[in-house]
Amino acid sequence: MSSRVSSIKIAERTARIEVSLRRLPPTMVIGGVILIVFLVIALTAQIWAPYPAAKTGTGRPFENPTSKHLFGTDQLGRDVFSRVMLGTRIVLTLSLSSTLLATILGGLLGLSSGLIGGWFDQLIMRLVDIMISIPFLVLALLIIAAAGPELSGGYLLIILAVAIVYTPRITRMARSVAIDLKTRDFVTVARARGESTLSIVWHELLPGATSVLLVEFGVRAGYAPIFIGSLGFLGFGVRPPTPEWGLMISENRSAIVSAPAALFSPGLALALLVVGLNLFTDGLARVLGRTVRPGT
Amino acid sequence: MLLLYHSGQWRGTVNIVLKTILSRVFLAMITLLAVSMFIFWAAEVLPGDIAARVLGREATEEAKQAFRERLNLDRPVHERYLIWLSGAVRGDFGHALASQRPISEVIGPRLKNTIFLALYAFILYVPLTVFLAAVSALNRERPLDNTISLLTLIGLSLPEFVIGTLLIYIFAVNNPIFPVMANVQRAKNFWDAIRMTTLPAITLTIVMAVYSVRMLRDNLIEVLESDYVRMATLKGLPRWRVVFFHALPNALVPALNTMALNLAYLIGGVVIVEQVFVYPGLGTQLVEAVFLRDAPVIEAIALLVSLIYISANLFTDIFSILSNPRLRSG
Repeated sequence: MSSRVSSIKIAERTARIEVSLRRLPPTMVIGGVILIVFLVIALTAQIWAPYPAAKTGTGRPFENPTSKHLFGTDQLGRDVFSRVMLGTRIVLTLSLSSTLLATILGGLLGLSSGLIGGWFDQLIMRLVDIMISIPFLVLALLIIAAAGPELSGGYLLIILAVAIVYTPRITRMARSVAIDLKTRDFVTVARARGESTLSIVWHELLPGATSVLLVEFGVRAGYAPIFIGSLGFLGFGVRPPTPEWGLMISENRSAIVSAPAALFSPGLALALLVVGLNLFTDGLARVLGRTVRPGT
Repeated sequence: MLLLYHSGQWRGTVNIVLKTILSRVFLAMITLLAVSMFIFWAAEVLPGDIAARVLGREATEEAKQAFRERLNLDRPVHERYLIWLSGAVRGDFGHALASQRPISEVIGPRLKNTIFLALYAFILYVPLTVFLAAVSALNRERPLDNTISLLTLIGLSLPEFVIGTLLIYIFAVNNPIFPVMANVQRAKNFWDAIRMTTLPAITLTIVMAVYSVRMLRDNLIEVLESDYVRMATLKGLPRWRVVFFHALPNALVPALNTMALNLAYLIGGVVIVEQVFVYPGLGTQLVEAVFLRDAPVIEAIALLVSLIYISANLFTDIFSILSNPRLRSG
């Protein structure tokens, strides 16, 4: 019985992979290319960036773009081009790790909550309701305020704040998948076999929830750079002189008259990254046969 | 409604509707209570010794003790929560740690400014969204529709602080039509305040519109293909009448729900837009309070904002129950 079920599952999976390989949506290709460019920059900028990110006095303060400083310089004479390029790794790391953490936590919580049901499900869902009822930037600021000065400005706090804001939303999504799947035969069979809850979540529910979680990951990751940039812009992100784009925009605001490039180049990088992530997710959702819904 | 109720056959339906609405109101109140506990816990219990944090490590033990007594910090947590909550229900949130002024006094004018900004943005937003969505839906898959889609996609990818800064660059620095900073506190009269608030309001409008134009367009296209709209067209009604009076109302209802959910993004948007334009509203106050670790102010604003968000969702829930017969039994 169990071998037949798993062979059907394998057949389904291979069929899906064939469909996805035959033709990729153009949005996925464009998004993918943008993301690859950002990935390459993130991985290699250390080697070819003209100046170190924190090196002051590479030129006069607030210089306009020249061949020496492609995006001009900031208030301390730091090279904005180098800072934007070197910042890519930080923005990508923070965005992806926080979203990944939230997807894993929310996926496991939601799937087990839907599967187990009863008081456990009730408890988790009420907690989710509470977290979702606080608008998410306010929730993030609450977490940052609660964390205290020892943690503030650190990568860990930002990753945690974004992950805590995202987790309940992903939990809710994963739970609805679990509730949908748990009445299926293969779950009943697994239960009859005496599999543990965790094993059912891992072996029976997760394969069915993968496409939902992947799209959810993409949607959340697409907003994460804006979220993290917003925290940086408000002054609650990473500590200066870290070249995080939101923080750079806030630092270079006084350059709006004399050297606007210093201000708008990190903004442009941020927008391009988000476009890439959103296009890729849109294509991914099409391949997986899901619709991307705007939501909370 | 009452008349229908007494006519007998409607009684059952009205009862179900009332019951559903009352249960939603009850649920919203429970949620708000739980949210208040969470906020209190996060702002006041988690950070540990507030006295040491506010007064600094060098403060004498007596000074810390006096501070704790004044803020009831020497009492057990649940008592402090109840004292805070009973005050909050009456609109008394205590005193700000930084300025020592009553919080209602600190927040009051800020709240008024934020409501002014939000209303201004909303007045721009509704006609703009409806207009763009209608133009898109009527020119489906044609260049105009594709242009609007592309613009909304770009708008979705731009954070509020980039849009706001871009507007400042274009309309305040290069063409000084509007001020760079929106200090409405100093406005000489109503029109001066309007002029100062225009750029922040436009930023918010753009952020809100990109979320809803696309959705409203899709709804409109769906409704425009329904039989009753075709009927209205075949009756010989002018196109604009069909779109605005027959199709739009039915396309707006499902959009409303998602718009209420998106309010969570918009409230975040207000915080950032206010910061970009140094606008003296609740958002800048919240940011300031988090910097100063001013727990009572953080609690008051977080609770207020959650109250607004929860009630907006409750009202759209009730509205969709009332307007959609299929949801009435839910």
